[in-house]
Amino acid sequence: MAIRWPLLVRRTHKWLALVVGVQALLWTLTGFYMVVVHIDTIHGDHLVHAPAARPFDLSGLAPPSKIVAAAPGASEIRLQRFAEAPVWRAETPDGPRLFDARTGAPLPALTESQVREQARRIYTGDGQIVSVRLLTKAPQEMQSRKPPYWQVEFTGWNRPTLYLSPQTGELVSRRHALWRVFDFAWMLHIMDYDERTDVNNPLLRVATWSAFAMALTGAWLLIWSFKRRKKKTA
Amino acid sequence: MKRIRLTPLFFRRIHKWVGLILGLQFLLWALSGSVMALLDKDKVGGHGGGMSHAHPLPAGEYFDVAALPRGEPVTGVLLRDLGARPVYELRTTKGIRLVDATTGKDMRVDEGMAREVASMMNEAPIQRVSILAKANLEARDHDGAMWRVDFADAENSSAYVSLDTARFLVMRGDTWRTWDFFWMLHNMDYVNRKSFNHPLIIFVAFGALWLSGTGFYLLFKSFSRADFRWLRRRRKPVVTRSTA
Repeated sequence: MAIRWPLLVRRTHKWLALVVGVQALLWTLTGFYMVVVHIDTIHGDHLVHAPAARPFDLSGLAPPSKIVAAAPGASEIRLQRFAEAPVWRAETPDGPRLFDARTGAPLPALTESQVREQARRIYTGDGQIVSVRLLTKAPQEMQSRKPPYWQVEFTGWNRPTLYLSPQTGELVSRRHALWRVFDFAWMLHIMDYDERTDVNNPLLRVATWSAFAMALTGAWLLIWSFKRRKKKTA
Repeated sequence: MKRIRLTPLFFRRIHKWVGLILGLQFLLWALSGSVMALLDKDKVGGHGGGMSHAHPLPAGEYFDVAALPRGEPVTGVLLRDLGARPVYELRTTKGIRLVDATTGKDMRVDEGMAREVASMMNEAPIQRVSILAKANLEARDHDGAMWRVDFADAENSSAYVSLDTARFLVMRGDTWRTWDFFWMLHNMDYVNRKSFNHPLIIFVAFGALWLSGTGFYLLFKSFSRADFRWLRRRRKPVVTRSTA
């Protein structure tokens, strides 16, 4: 029996679509969201002030050797500002630590009111702070960052949230509603429903190649159907 | 004007015509997505890089910080260890200066240093070292001039080292290069391969929504009870059957 190709290809297209149809719909929907909302907006660049590069007065600073001695194992020491005052920031195996840049004395971890002040300084919006919490366990939206950190939530439709380091007050990351939607869309896009990071999972591999076969049979049908019409009119 | 009737035939037409116009990109999305899912993400490597070995700073005296500037305003000072010798990274309004933190002498990131830094990240023999005035496509996430150190390994790895700071920037290999080609097909930014928020992709993605949307709708119109007969046949024969 001769194979009736159009029928076979149409059936393949149909059945593959039945298997990956929902996922193909989700791919185009989530893909559309990801291309429409600019990635800089998703990252929340607009939520925080870019740190200004202002000159330092380098005279009368505590020597770096003093900081190295006070923070053993430090791999990097950097001069920066905390609330206008110059500080030495040491990157230690236990995380970053701050030292008064004039005296070299270690600075204690931030208090809650300092965290509030710092968050206000960083945040560009004018919403009020809703909640301030010190987290020792990473929430879903901060799986990629190691706790502890302060979580500072602001009012606003997009629920902007800043995460600050408890030792240095520096911004660890920021989240908002559009980021959270993006993260959910990304999860649906790469079909990793647990960690949302594994782009090599077997489910995705099977689904993507099935979708490719579906698209390929679709393309064949398309060419065939337009050719047929030409023959008819001829 | 003919009234549009929302019949399955109408949706089938949309499906066909959108398919004709944007079908090739849909096919390329499926193909590039499949290939990217197949390429081992650990071999592809990180997107940002910047993960370099951090050595602890040695105890002892360092060159006086106050003697570092030469008239120019300093916007940042950083002390770190560069392959067992401490260095200052001085950020000034005129750019970045690298200073030996023991002697206070200016340092140049020469080929030897680039080799040294790159070798900390890859043990394979070095094949070639070249200098780039600005980033190429592979190192596009980084600014400024840089060294490119090519290794003779299975992946044809290339390490990029900053000319200003001697910092290791990123490692790229053949798996990443393959991945990047398909990523370009996926994000449709054929020149810079970076943006996925440009008008072309937004337009095509909008069209693809129609393709998948009408296709999904047509699923319900294309299958009949007869298509699933084989499922019933497979089941154990039903002994009692209602004839109602």
